[in-house]
Amino acid sequence: MNDNGTLLSVEDISTHFFTEEGVVKAVQDVSFAIMKGQTFALVGESGCGKSVTALSIMRLVPEPQGKIVSGEIVFEGKKLLSLSEKGMRQIRGNEIAMIFQEPMTSLNPVYTVGNQIVEAIKLHQKKSTSQAWSDAVEMLRRVGISDPQQRVREYPHQMSGGMRQRIMIAMAVSCEPVLLIADEPTTALDVTIQAQILDLLDRLQEQNGMSILLITHDLGVVAERADDVAVMYASRIVEVAESRQLFAEPLHPYTQGLLESLPRLGITAGRLQTISGTVPEPLHFPAGCKFHPRCPVGREDRRCQTVEPKLREVRPGRCVACWYARDRRQRAEDRRQSPESAAVDEG
Amino acid sequence: MSKQTQAKSNWGTSYGELVWREFAKSRLSIVCLSFIVFLFAVAILAPFLANDKPFVIRIDGQLHFPIFRNLGASDYCIFLAAVVGCSQLLLIKRNHRHVDPSIRGAALWRQICISSSIILIGVILLFVFVPRRLDATDYKAMVACRQATDAIFAPIPYGYARTNLKLREQPPSWEHLLGTDDVGSDTLCRLIHGSRISLSVGFVAVGISTVIGILVGAILGYFGGKVDFIGMRIVEIMMAIPAFFLIITIVAFFARSLLNIMIIIGITSWTGNARFIRAEFFKLRKQDFVQAAVSLGLPLRSILFRHMLPNGIAPVLVNATFGIAGAIFIEAALSFLGFGVAPPTPSWGQMLSLGVSTTGRFLWWLTLFPGLAIFFTVLAYNLVGEALRDAIDPKLRTR
Amino acid sequence: MTGKVAVPATAKRKRRKNIEQGISNVEAKVPNMVNTNDYLLRVAGLKTYFPVKKGLLQRTIGYVKAVDGISFGIQAGQTLGLVGESGCGKTTVARSIVRLVPATEGSVVFDQTDVLSADRVKLRELRRQISLIFQDPFGSLNPRMTVGNIIGESLKVQKKAAGSELIERVTALLSKVGLSPDHINRYPHEFSGGQRQRISVARALALEPKLVICDEPVSALDVSIQSQILNLLKDLQDEFGLTFLFIAHDLAVVEFFCDIVAVMYMGKIVERAAKEELYRNPLHPYTRALMSSIPQVERDPSPSRRGRRTTLGGEVPSALNPPAGCAFHPRCPLAEGVCLKQMPVLEEKGDYEGHFVACWKCQKKLIIDNG
Ligand SMILES: Nc1ncnc2c1ncn2[C@@H]1O[C@H](COP(=O)(O)OP(=O)(O)OP(=O)(O)O)[C@@H](O)[C@H]1O
Ligand SMILES: Nc1ncnc2c1ncn2[C@@H]1O[C@H](COP(=O)(O)OP(=O)(O)O)[C@@H](O)[C@H]1O
Ligand code: SF4
Ligand code: SF4
Ligand SMILES: [Mg+2]
Ligand SMILES: [Mg+2]
Repeated sequence: MNDNGTLLSVEDISTHFFTEEGVVKAVQDVSFAIMKGQTFALVGESGCGKSVTALSIMRLVPEPQGKIVSGEIVFEGKKLLSLSEKGMRQIRGNEIAMIFQEPMTSLNPVYTVGNQIVEAIKLHQKKSTSQAWSDAVEMLRRVGISDPQQRVREYPHQMSGGMRQRIMIAMAVSCEPVLLIADEPTTALDVTIQAQILDLLDRLQEQNGMSILLITHDLGVVAERADDVAVMYASRIVEVAESRQLFAEPLHPYTQGLLESLPRLGITAGRLQTISGTVPEPLHFPAGCKFHPRCPVGREDRRCQTVEPKLREVRPGRCVACWYARDRRQRAEDRRQSPESAAVDEG
Repeated sequence: MSKQTQAKSNWGTSYGELVWREFAKSRLSIVCLSFIVFLFAVAILAPFLANDKPFVIRIDGQLHFPIFRNLGASDYCIFLAAVVGCSQLLLIKRNHRHVDPSIRGAALWRQICISSSIILIGVILLFVFVPRRLDATDYKAMVACRQATDAIFAPIPYGYARTNLKLREQPPSWEHLLGTDDVGSDTLCRLIHGSRISLSVGFVAVGISTVIGILVGAILGYFGGKVDFIGMRIVEIMMAIPAFFLIITIVAFFARSLLNIMIIIGITSWTGNARFIRAEFFKLRKQDFVQAAVSLGLPLRSILFRHMLPNGIAPVLVNATFGIAGAIFIEAALSFLGFGVAPPTPSWGQMLSLGVSTTGRFLWWLTLFPGLAIFFTVLAYNLVGEALRDAIDPKLRTR
Repeated sequence: MTGKVAVPATAKRKRRKNIEQGISNVEAKVPNMVNTNDYLLRVAGLKTYFPVKKGLLQRTIGYVKAVDGISFGIQAGQTLGLVGESGCGKTTVARSIVRLVPATEGSVVFDQTDVLSADRVKLRELRRQISLIFQDPFGSLNPRMTVGNIIGESLKVQKKAAGSELIERVTALLSKVGLSPDHINRYPHEFSGGQRQRISVARALALEPKLVICDEPVSALDVSIQSQILNLLKDLQDEFGLTFLFIAHDLAVVEFFCDIVAVMYMGKIVERAAKEELYRNPLHPYTRALMSSIPQVERDPSPSRRGRRTTLGGEVPSALNPPAGCAFHPRCPLAEGVCLKQMPVLEEKGDYEGHFVACWKCQKKLIIDNG
């Protein structure tokens, strides 16, 4: 895992929230590695722990309820979890930058966008105010805002959602971070604007060579933009693979179900495949594999119902957290032949 | 039976239950609520706690029950209301156990109608049929000179209107636990009877202001447009008038009766409620579930009262709690300035004003105890209001 | 219905005139139809403007033309899909049809009754036959009412059922939408988004409506739940022969669900055609851009589609002062001369009957370079 190309590696991170109703295990034993200059996508349905994973990397998990209870995050050789708060502050915004889902609320309404970008620039770089302002104008131009000299003096409410997201991106990349965490950057936007923003991220990545952790629930976005993908379900990563391989041959039953249930252009009649049931609530996770109540295999299998599978490499480059990680056709055959032998499928 | 429990496990938690759970989490709010309940108990039972008439007395070998003979129509009204009120609370609690949630609303509505008509009819009957008596007999003197025997007095054997000029302005002693006032009445006794005034002022005044506020607010909020524009300007004008001085002026013109004070406080303090309800209705009108109700072709009555009001009333209830505290305070202030209820009817504010006697002495017990009573009551209501507001937090509402 | 009927030039001219007179081309298309009364819902020239007010005296300083003259018809049993980006007026169309917002102009005819001029009694009757499913599963259910009351209220108010019969009907509806009868006494906050949407569906079906308007019924749902709800709606359509007006912003969902698709941009329909035709041969530049913007999962391990798309520049202009001429021209790759000055009308173009496009540059056989 730790070859030279690794920029960030997340190792067995668990983040819990200690609430009145009980301990919400928002992230459990999550591990992945992001390579330099690549786009790593974290995909999953709402509430599965994507944002908390991102906040854990930034060490911004809301205190005092939330706590990273175990694991380590290594960023360019530095162990982030053992850094002081001061050391972390130097990394945040400077080397790792983050943009959020909600473009409407993540900018401060009482300052002009220029003010906010300049503040971000001056926080991390030793630059004069006038230099920072001209930088800000330049940043706006780079993120594709027309008439930046004028726009830099405007307030967030004078801009549309897409423009605000561009400004968030401008702020985030103004210090040339090596890692950009984009938490659902386009969920609140229209498809045409989404395409613009994703193109913009691609372009910036090409120019700066930064890595992107792209968090999204849209498999289409992942398929088009990501190099590597991790699929999350109920606080855990259930499958990690290179994007193309994952979509060509998903191995985890959840990934398979998701891909099959997706309405795609070209599907015009009949019924959609579905995953039965609903996403479990974090306070009432089922025992064993958390997907088992919805899994065609797990509903009948004792092991799935009692023992939770760990993420393991089932074949080169393919990590899956499932006792029966095969492609769907094969698995059905296995089970038909002999239900016992199918269980001995580790290796 | 087992079927019953089976069914109950499928009952959802209603919003009311959620709010109550949230409310009950804080010990302070429970303490405050208990204090208010205690005050109500004291106020309702005042004639039995402090009275110069004995419960039982034997005169000339015959048993008499002077306390009960001396209860007036208003006392009986209070008892009736208390009994009906308590039984309603018990019924609501029972319904929560045994009536399934889908028809609870209708049950509650029926209950409210029945109980309020019982109270209304009861009040009329009581005022018509219970005679006014003025029993000036001094039973204690009778006991003292052995004309009567076997007397059982209330724990505080003084009447609030009973004067005793020999015992004027006494500091606290074993005889008079909280001392006496300028005409020799027992302070504790007057404090207990005064709680009736304070609590009923709070209740009735806020009742009036809430009803007016809801009606005006609902009309402005639902219809909007020009109606709203004109209505809001009127509300703003009302708000700009300093209510307290208006009240003083009006009280100075009319008789100093309790009812007048309640009504005046009520009709000067509804503006806040109207604004709350209007704002809520504005928001609610655009919400999908109200739109859904409209698009299902439901009648306006159902939309306003089943869909909008229950969702918009929470802030008004919170405001009412603060309003009660405010009304108690205003009444106290009015009485302190001498515009309140006429003596000998006791009221906390009026007692407070007796702290500096005509002879210029500072009677600390007359200032301290009513002052504390006002302070704690107002504080308790405010804290309950705070807790209620926290419990009704919008976070909870959307969940 | 015959195959392709050649429309004589005079008829075409006449149609054009009709449009100018604000009469829908749905009506103008009568010659091709067996019978106008086939349409369960006909919307013609519908306009809904919202006044924009300002200042203390609330003076009207302009209008947001949320819906600006749209026309379509839905036959019984059909599903019409309305797609477009956020703010283009889809919801407003839905709400105007049931008069949740007052329409400014135009006509809505449901089952041969004029909706916009119906009096209160008539309107209530109409609303029983048209029901709505809303986008936000968290805002569309009254949080103070139990599921049983939410679903059963309309039945009770309409005196369709009471007492144990009511409970029976509600239970039946619950199981129809895939919920357990045990849920009848629960409150909405105890359900997940998908389950709430099922409750909404049950409520919408309680009065046995003829037309169901679904305003983005799945956009707020998780991916794995989306397909469940779509299947449910489809099954119910088969079972009850429902007619849908299906609003969505996801072209893939619409392709799966609808028979006819109308694409909206800034309050107008810019293209309308049968589904197969529209997806095979999108004519309007906006429809094309929309289609190419949808990120697609491709199952075969081909190189990623990065850079292969034609991204649309710019953003949707402010609805308060829309651009002159074709509203799409600031973003349109084909815009020129006439586009900036004159508004294109929705006309039948393309190879197949019933393919309407509002664009100056789309000729009958349009060949636009795919970029
Ligand atoms: N009550 C209103 N008052 C003023 N303007 C309104 C009102 N309702 C909608 N609009 C405006 O009308 C336009 C169309 O709104 P509408 O809600 O119909 O869009 P939509 O297509 O449903 O979008 P979405 O996909 O976001 O739901 C928008 O510009 C919106 O701001
Ligand atoms: N501040 C918090 N307090 C308690 N629970 C939280 C908090 N933030 C997130 N959670 C819980 O953690 C889980 C994962 O949340 P999140 O990472 O935001 O999901 P998503 O994958 O949609 O980004 C959810 O169940 C959520 O309710
Ligand atoms: S471990 Fe079992 S239940 Fe879990 S996904 Fe694999 S087969 Fe399904
Ligand atoms: S009319 Fe012109 S601007 Fe409008 S879509 Fe057609 S080509 Fe583009
Ligand atoms: Mg998130
Ligand atoms: Mg909408």
